[in-house]
Amino acid sequence: MTEVLLKSENLARAFGGVQAVAGVSLSLPAGQVTALVGPNGAGKTTTFNLITGNLRADSGTAHVRGKPVMGLKPWQVARLGVARSFQDLRLFTHMTVRENVLAATETAAWFWQPGGARARATREDRAVTALEATGLSALADARAVDLAYAERKFLSMARVLAADADIWLLDEPASGLDLSSRLRFGELLRAATARGVAICLIEHNLDVVAELSDRIAFLDQGRVLAEGDPQSILRDPALAAIYFGDRPQEAA
Amino acid sequence: MTAFLLNLATLAAISGILASTLNFIVGYAGIFSVAHAVFFGLGAYGGAQVALLLVPDPFLACFVAALIAGGLSLCLALPALRVRGEYFVAASLGLQMVAATLFAELKPLTGGIGGLVGIPRPEIFGTVVPVLPLALAALALILFLTARLQRGAFGRTLQSIRDADSAAEALGKNVNAAKTLAVAFACAGAGVAGALYALHLSFINVESFTLDQSIQIMAMVIIGGTGTLWGPLVGAIMLLSLPAVLSFIPFIPPTEVGAVQQIIYGLAMTLLMIFRPAGLVGDQTKGRSTS
Repeated sequence: MTEVLLKSENLARAFGGVQAVAGVSLSLPAGQVTALVGPNGAGKTTTFNLITGNLRADSGTAHVRGKPVMGLKPWQVARLGVARSFQDLRLFTHMTVRENVLAATETAAWFWQPGGARARATREDRAVTALEATGLSALADARAVDLAYAERKFLSMARVLAADADIWLLDEPASGLDLSSRLRFGELLRAATARGVAICLIEHNLDVVAELSDRIAFLDQGRVLAEGDPQSILRDPALAAIYFGDRPQEAA
Repeated sequence: MTAFLLNLATLAAISGILASTLNFIVGYAGIFSVAHAVFFGLGAYGGAQVALLLVPDPFLACFVAALIAGGLSLCLALPALRVRGEYFVAASLGLQMVAATLFAELKPLTGGIGGLVGIPRPEIFGTVVPVLPLALAALALILFLTARLQRGAFGRTLQSIRDADSAAEALGKNVNAAKTLAVAFACAGAGVAGALYALHLSFINVESFTLDQSIQIMAMVIIGGTGTLWGPLVGAIMLLSLPAVLSFIPFIPPTEVGAVQQIIYGLAMTLLMIFRPAGLVGDQTKGRSTS
């Protein structure tokens, strides 16, 4: 049994009268890609926000390697080894590609980073490695705002890579990528899981999900309806009906 | 004439400090404060009281001024930094209003409307020294520190917060701490400028620390170029020498110089934002970028 790096239990959050997340329990095992699948509004991104402290949960718990993270601020959760990407990327637009990635390695808010020259060299190495892995080395001096669509997506991944976290929460990282970019993205994920990183991926393209994930958690209306290996979930006709909008009528 | 130029140079150096330190929080951290004159004032009153009550030692005056302005900025910044963008502008505007009133009313500390008079000239080892070399040294130090911080990790942290604070926080950066630190550094610098100003003029009152002054400093930063090292200095020199240059133009009656100056400021700002949106020194591609 592989170690579970992140575990949430019964996370719930309502916005006004809408129960966005209604008791989500998730486990992210080391070295595996877990895909969060479900129709729009199922509560996938909200679940991320509850785990990372961007939103406060009404109830439920989440633990990172056994440490409770409820009530922590986003930067505190990040320092426990949780890196996330955003659906709208949120790049540091006016900084260069290299600066974007370097900034991901520098967490101290003080005038200088701890560890002196040696730590700085390590951080720079991490940035170079992240740029190479994402194929952005040649664009290191370009500003993020000037990048093309796929390059921006990879820059967002390069920041996650450079953050040196072992839990990745990725919000639609592969949407809109062409086939070759998607393959390169798949290699990135495989290399990370081989190192023992636990990845949670929100993704709408079921081909990508089938290609990349080891497990699927199917969310609908704030609940995990089903969890399991990709083949059994993707072939379940009831789930397909919900996903493609053909929701069975509830008993009146 | 020499005295006139020396006076202008001293004021330019002091304004250069104010503009550079404001630029540090506007240009790098994206914190639009229209209360910079408050911390200029705190430093001026603090430095003046040191010279009046203790010794006219410029280093002690600057140190105390930096401590007061930097320290009080912490108390005021912590609640205010919770609000973002245009809400912070409004919060700092409120602070500027309150502070100007307090400066005018707290007679025992500030001398009230009349201000503090007879501030002794600065002395080092018993010798009276002019403020100009001190102001130039302080300006050089501030520019050096700004350049160091800007190129290093702290500059990247501030810029990442400016561009996408939620992403910066998701990468483990304590956004509020970094912003507070930047504000404290900038306000301590403004405090030093205040102490030098008080020692230079030997008279200060609330007139120099009102919203007009804050806007003037902001104008220096924007005209010179936000987020650049030399821009704020260029902006400060330009805005300060403009009235002096105007007073040499013979066909403007001396009584109208103020009005003409306002018109020229306004025109220059408008034209500049159209043709050089990133300021005189700024990278012009930045101002025009689409996102």
